[in-house]
Amino acid sequence: MEFTLLWSALTGAGALYGALWWMGRRDTSLCVRDLWELAITAGVIGLAVGRVAAMLRGGVNPIAHPGDVLLVRSGVDTVAASTAALLTAAWLAREDLFEQLDGLAPAALFGVAGWHAGCMFRGACLGTLSDLPWAWAQSGSDLTRHPVELYAALLLVISAVALFQLRLRYPSPGLVSGLALVVVGAARLLTEPMRPSLFAGPVWWYAAGIVAGGILAGWAVWRSRRIGSAEGTAPLQ
Amino acid sequence: MRRLLTLLGVVLVAAACGGSAEPGDVPPLPETSPDHLQEVLAGSELPVVLNVWASWCIPCRSEAPLLRAAHESFQAEVDFIGLNVRDSQEGARAFLNEFELTGFPHLFDQSGAAQGSLGAGGVPLTLFFSAGGELFDTHFGAVDERTLALNIDEIIRR
Repeated sequence: MEFTLLWSALTGAGALYGALWWMGRRDTSLCVRDLWELAITAGVIGLAVGRVAAMLRGGVNPIAHPGDVLLVRSGVDTVAASTAALLTAAWLAREDLFEQLDGLAPAALFGVAGWHAGCMFRGACLGTLSDLPWAWAQSGSDLTRHPVELYAALLLVISAVALFQLRLRYPSPGLVSGLALVVVGAARLLTEPMRPSLFAGPVWWYAAGIVAGGILAGWAVWRSRRIGSAEGTAPLQ
Repeated sequence: MRRLLTLLGVVLVAAACGGSAEPGDVPPLPETSPDHLQEVLAGSELPVVLNVWASWCIPCRSEAPLLRAAHESFQAEVDFIGLNVRDSQEGARAFLNEFELTGFPHLFDQSGAAQGSLGAGGVPLTLFFSAGGELFDTHFGAVDERTLALNIDEIIRR
């Protein structure tokens, strides 16, 4: 892993920990240490699986070249990494699934936002050409471009704060996790047209994430209303 | 811990059993010199992506699929050139055969003198030139998809 990418990873981990600490001070029901371990374990496993998938896609045999797994800079398969991270998190939190995932989801969005914002250390924030006032050019060029990674980071931070508030007001198991999945998929889908790329991004997978998150959130609302009406109260209006 | 050690052992045995690549039908790489390389760059009518690599370089192996994909996508707009440094002909040819990187020309610079004339050391290294040979950017280390796509876009538009 190159040092610039390492800084980006540290920014993401720092944002995740900072968000967990901040959330833990406002919601004493959260066990910050457990959620931190859950997130880091899921993140590392997701990264490894995504890297192996990228190697296989590129024709590099991971068994013949096991050391190449460490070369994260050379590519990580986003779909494989995200799926592995989500499955790992779900398996680790299986005894109290939605309570833990809902607690973790806003902080995870902060972590992903930190990873995107880490582009500042790598000089890799820029996307397609733009004349907007906040567009800027890379060193040696006069072509101004969208700071697309910062757009994604901003969208994720705003959504994370909103989801944390939502969780405090409407603690419906699964709602925040589902909406977080919708937000992550939407952030990628909205910014994808502004990313310079050699390949078409896995936009169908981002859309699938949005649909899956929407179904989970809808199920959470439906379940909450059903329980609420059975108890004579309505937790979600 | 025992499971982890077992897994590590399996990976090491598998790595030891991994077959080495063969040069196949890849012809010997033409030798280059500092003057020749500068002539090639200056004479190019298209922008140039110059990738400095060696078969013993592990990160070069990981960026090879990206370079192949970039060449397939942009070959009409950009010239791709490989500069093999401090390597053997057999190793270089086996590398090109294994990663199917034979779609664009590669030059052989065993002494590293041609690379030295570029003013940048180490492998892998990717340099982006405008048409006519003006250097736009140098990327040290394995190049990622975003950097490659962004810099190709820059040199095409200059």
